[in-house]
Amino acid sequence: MKGDRSKAVTLWTFVVVALVMLSAPTLVVLGASFTAGNMITFPPEGLSLKWYAAIAGATDLRDAFLRSVIVATICTAISIPTGTLAGIALAKYRVRFAAGVQVYLLLPFTIPLIGSGIGLMLIFGKWGLLGQLWPVGVACAVINLPFMIWAVTASAASLDPDLELAAANCGAPPLSTFLAVTIPAVTPGIITGALLMFILALNEFLVSLLLVDARIVTLPVQIYNSIRSIITPDLAAISVVFIAVAAIAIALLDWLVGLDIFLKSK
Amino acid sequence: MRPSRTSYPLSWRLMDALEAIAAAVWPRSFSAAVPWLMLLPAVVLVGLLVLGLWDMADGSFRTLDTATFLPSDDYSLTNYHRAFTEKLFFTVASRSLIGSLIVTAVTLIFAFPYSYVMVRTRSTVLRKFLLIALFLPFFIGQVVRAYGWLIILGSQGMVNEALGLVGVSPIRLLYNYPAVLFGLVQYMLPFAVLMLAPALTAIPEEMESAAGSLGANWVRTFIHVVLPLAKPGFIGAGLVVMTLSLTDFAIPAILGGGSQDFIANAIYDQFFRTSDQGMGATLALLLVAVGSIMVGVVFALFGAGTLAIGRSK
Repeated sequence: MKGDRSKAVTLWTFVVVALVMLSAPTLVVLGASFTAGNMITFPPEGLSLKWYAAIAGATDLRDAFLRSVIVATICTAISIPTGTLAGIALAKYRVRFAAGVQVYLLLPFTIPLIGSGIGLMLIFGKWGLLGQLWPVGVACAVINLPFMIWAVTASAASLDPDLELAAANCGAPPLSTFLAVTIPAVTPGIITGALLMFILALNEFLVSLLLVDARIVTLPVQIYNSIRSIITPDLAAISVVFIAVAAIAIALLDWLVGLDIFLKSK
Repeated sequence: MRPSRTSYPLSWRLMDALEAIAAAVWPRSFSAAVPWLMLLPAVVLVGLLVLGLWDMADGSFRTLDTATFLPSDDYSLTNYHRAFTEKLFFTVASRSLIGSLIVTAVTLIFAFPYSYVMVRTRSTVLRKFLLIALFLPFFIGQVVRAYGWLIILGSQGMVNEALGLVGVSPIRLLYNYPAVLFGLVQYMLPFAVLMLAPALTAIPEEMESAAGSLGANWVRTFIHVVLPLAKPGFIGAGLVVMTLSLTDFAIPAILGGGSQDFIANAIYDQFFRTSDQGMGATLALLLVAVGSIMVGVVFALFGAGTLAIGRSK
């Protein structure tokens, strides 16, 4: 067809620029982590794994990473039941004041992170909870909850209500129906949501920065604090941990539910 | 003799017991309240935010007592007056607002072709590649990505070293406004593409062929068919990009190097540098208000677009 070539050229120009923009930092961090020099230079001074050896011996980085994993685990453990129940309720039932409930549950999204973070810092401070790790996990669950609810409502919408009626008709009591019909139907959504929650909490920076003190910094905060002084390749090596975790999460997501799920229209 | 009841598996008995408990705790007559019970944990969790807002509202009316460095006991509107009159806050606010508008426009311009190619391509390999290229930075987090840009754009970074090889003296690419905006566009692209994609999927490809067979070239097809039909996606994407870039902290802090503060950085400084909690709370509340008004106006004018949760039919 006429004009197809100009269409392809125009679209692809934008796509290629976007691809470079999206991938450049990741690739550069990966490359810098293998440098043999003591500084990040271009062109690099040769290849070595010495910075990986350096971070393996750095207890502060390792502890910070462990703390990030704990925060992400707590966040995921809280948001799976909370988001699943809320998502199913919103998708399945005709709730009164549904519009109001929607607006309320989108609050974590409409309130800027700095606002949420400071609000949570004030109330956790008042309740004497600051300086512990689990409130950071709770905070991550609060601010990312809409992602979990979205993921669940998206798969609950494709659940045929007749299936639940059929189960009831065959004599299944309500709880059995819920566990054997409803939950399996929304499992792809739960998996998607849980992975998102884990990754977002693992990477959460601003809310962590507000809620942690010097003794319990999480890894993103630790990296941020180190960036301020001087750029050394050990930061690149520890950043690769994030890249690896992200790659694993994407692979899991693709394997379990398929990445195409994000392209589906509602 | 009848066979013993061992044929009745343990898991069934367990379920029976659970059902009995559920029925006792929650009689059938309460069933109208089931959806509310299911919503309860989420409502409580988000309630923490509401409590936090309330605390901020209380703090925003207290001024910092310079003699004791404690918030005052009595309430006044001094902080709000300062927020609207002091030049520093005006500079920061206008820098963030203008910045977020530019970032939204640029991000949408790049996100649309990306999303379109990703949705329309017939090659599953290409689609998967584009999706992975999108999710990788999305899942890596802002700090690491900003760190990557520091390596690329720094004064001894890749770009400047490369320029040096061809005899161009180093250019200061970091710690200025464009660097922050660039970083924000990169940060927001995955969000925008993911919000646009469902809207583009919903447009039947036959519509475009129909426009083509009626004589429209691809530009006119885009302007008159694809873009109007993708409106819910643009609303969702625009809103997310706008609010997230307006309120971002990490990118202005790292790529702006303290000279390009956005509102979030100013709020942080009020809490942790000046220790003026009241002023910080005031700025944070004003930011919440601006964000909510923006979201509210867009929702009221255009609906929730691809942002809506809950029943879709």
